[in-house]
Amino acid sequence: MRSTSPDSDASQSPGIARARSLQILGILSGFTAGAWLGAAEAPTKLVTIGISPVVISLVMVVGVFLARWSLPALILGTSSVRADVQRAPHLIVWAVLAGCMWATANTLTIFAIREIGLSIAFPLWNSNSLLGIFWGFLFFNELRQAGWRRWSGVLGGALAMCIGAAILAAATTSQSSNAHSMNGVWAALGAGALWGTMYIPYRKAYLTGMNPLSFITFFTFGELGMMAILAIGYTGFGPLRQQLFNARGVLFWLMLGGFIWVIGDLFQQYAAKYIGISRGIPLSNTNQLWGLLWGILVFGELQGRANITYWQVIGGSLLMALGAGAIALSSANRDERSRWKEAAQREGERYGVSSDYVQARMDGRQAASEAAPRRSASDWILVAGATAILLGFASIARVPEFSFHRAPALALTAAVLVLLGITGLRLWRTTRFQ
Amino acid sequence: MVAEQTKSGAKSLAANVLTDVHFWVPVAVLIGGLLLLRLVS
Repeated sequence: MRSTSPDSDASQSPGIARARSLQILGILSGFTAGAWLGAAEAPTKLVTIGISPVVISLVMVVGVFLARWSLPALILGTSSVRADVQRAPHLIVWAVLAGCMWATANTLTIFAIREIGLSIAFPLWNSNSLLGIFWGFLFFNELRQAGWRRWSGVLGGALAMCIGAAILAAATTSQSSNAHSMNGVWAALGAGALWGTMYIPYRKAYLTGMNPLSFITFFTFGELGMMAILAIGYTGFGPLRQQLFNARGVLFWLMLGGFIWVIGDLFQQYAAKYIGISRGIPLSNTNQLWGLLWGILVFGELQGRANITYWQVIGGSLLMALGAGAIALSSANRDERSRWKEAAQREGERYGVSSDYVQARMDGRQAASEAAPRRSASDWILVAGATAILLGFASIARVPEFSFHRAPALALTAAVLVLLGITGLRLWRTTRFQ
Repeated sequence: MVAEQTKSGAKSLAANVLTDVHFWVPVAVLIGGLLLLRLVS
């Protein structure tokens, strides 16, 4: 396949159309990521039934590990992952580092949920978008030469998100009777800082041409390694094994949560690739609305609370969502995209990655020198192995004993599946998952 | 010869990574996150 520049003089119209198509794809990916990331948080409600937060996080990461190897093997095959790594081996370092950050942030969110509740903790750690915008501007030329309208959209949106987060923090301190509620606020904000900075490796990988499917495959070594260290460090090996044994009936649900998270994260990666982190993160942060929907409709989180708390949580979340929307609608113009290319060129030169390869991948295509990805027997063994492990845990799973509303849960599940189908199909048609 | 080239490539890769500010910013934030986790747990 030939590599083309979206903005080249020779092919300006097709290039602009391609760039627009990729922008729409990135926006769709961001919204789909939000829906799936929001759905993935629901299993963490199990924290209220006496399982250690660290154990919950560890088991979720095991589910994540299974998904991060089996999904790329299923979608493109591991030959594509090997080819990517040969071209840009330095990205393994960033992928593992980002995985360590993810695991630490995820553990912090479990503590935050325990202290201040899902519907309040969610928007607080979603402040990661502010950091993402900052890093995107500082390191990757995002929003450079973007014009006043886009700057206004991004800065106005960021301000709205800050105010929304402050309203939610105020709701936390007024409605929570837990003496450790400020610990929960700090844990949620810390998770936001880790996740916001984690997008530096993401953007670096995609500017240098790596396929999101390859990136997450190595990312997961950092996740699982860091999480195992945290779990053993905080719990001890013997007690950890005992806790895992005692919790065997709910391990499947937590692993499923991790699996769902990976689907959301994969779309988030495509959003970061095609619209940058300054827009991709706010869009995927619409998971706060999905989290609220799950929290309120399925788990009845705000029942019995004072009206003022209810309005604070809803109003703060809506304000944050409006801010995220304003940022997302300030899409990159041609000048800004040319600055992205400069950043990509800089990365390519530093790490010796071919400019043809970088350019083609930025355009959502394979480079001319690349072989078409194909699946091998080992890919099918990987997929079968991951499926067997999940089915094994499913066979000993029991439905956790806590109240939830079945009808809204089914409706929300249907909604996220529809989004998966629409965006997955468009990703395949436009980029063949590149 | 090939072994020498591989060694030299690995050394330059390590040098490129370790002199890249994009590496040290996430490392610093990760250390901060681990300290915070210790405080809140």
